[in-house]
Amino acid sequence: MAKKRERLDVIKDILKVIRDSRQIKPTRLLYASNLSPQMFKDYVDELLTKNFVKTEIDKNDKKTFSLTKKGNDFLDQYKIIENFIENFGL
Amino acid sequence: MDEYLWIIENKDLLKVFYGLLIGAICVVIVVRTDRLFKISLHQGIRYFRNAFFFYGIAFIARAFIGLAFFTGYKNLNFFYSLNFIFEFFIIMAGFFLLYSLLWKRIEDTADNYSSSLFNSKIAIFYAMALIIVLLDSIWQETRIFLFASQIIVFAVATIISFANYRADARQHKFLKFYLIAMILGLTAWILNSFAGAYYAWANSFITLNVLILDAIIFLLFLFGVISVTRAKQ
Repeated sequence: MAKKRERLDVIKDILKVIRDSRQIKPTRLLYASNLSPQMFKDYVDELLTKNFVKTEIDKNDKKTFSLTKKGNDFLDQYKIIENFIENFGL
Repeated sequence: MDEYLWIIENKDLLKVFYGLLIGAICVVIVVRTDRLFKISLHQGIRYFRNAFFFYGIAFIARAFIGLAFFTGYKNLNFFYSLNFIFEFFIIMAGFFLLYSLLWKRIEDTADNYSSSLFNSKIAIFYAMALIIVLLDSIWQETRIFLFASQIIVFAVATIISFANYRADARQHKFLKFYLIAMILGLTAWILNSFAGAYYAWANSFITLNVLILDAIIFLLFLFGVISVTRAKQ
């Protein structure tokens, strides 16, 4: 059985999808995140509250998500955190 | 050998500086790892941070013990209190360090303690540390229970860190230094127990070497924490 993703991995995966797409619609992000709709909502709400992600309206009047500077910084920090955990066997 | 004699003669004063130096190293490690924990909320980082928080308290208490000896301050209650703080926190630090390696095998993913210092699992460590300190207060000459507990802790930590090293040493270079630190820690605790139980603390040469080993261990961790947390992708 595949190992359950940790909270930090899920956040990293969501942010990475948004960064790779630059702008992404909620339904596409839900699909890419591989989470249940309820869990997806919880994570996105958290990311919006923490100001890692912002919502925008595209030219077709559709809601999209994009990364803030704080979200970008987190992704950069994630490498350090991951490195730390693995280098110290935590 | 003059330097060696000078060190032996001034050992209490050196213990003050030594305790403060290790305390300062622990502060740097705690500050850096606390920043990582606040971003990640990773339990392993949390327990690792707690270990060095407690090591810091223990070594600062030890610095005050050295200061009491150096100044000739002879208040027994003060000495016993500091000794209790030193022993209790150094035991707890060892437990936290081991638990930072073991927590994934023990904690349920649903466990989400609001405090890593006070929760039902950590309460067992507090109880064990308290029992060890109380038992040692009965046989104060040797601190045999402290040494036995820490030899077991570092022996297990050495085995785990060896397994981590074998599994992933090529990708993550610090695993090798972590293993070295655990072996040195185990050696230091074994030497310490000899110095206490066999020589009744009369062998300053062993004590001095234990202090050097301890300093190397803390410097290794400081080096690891700084180099990994500073690394840019």
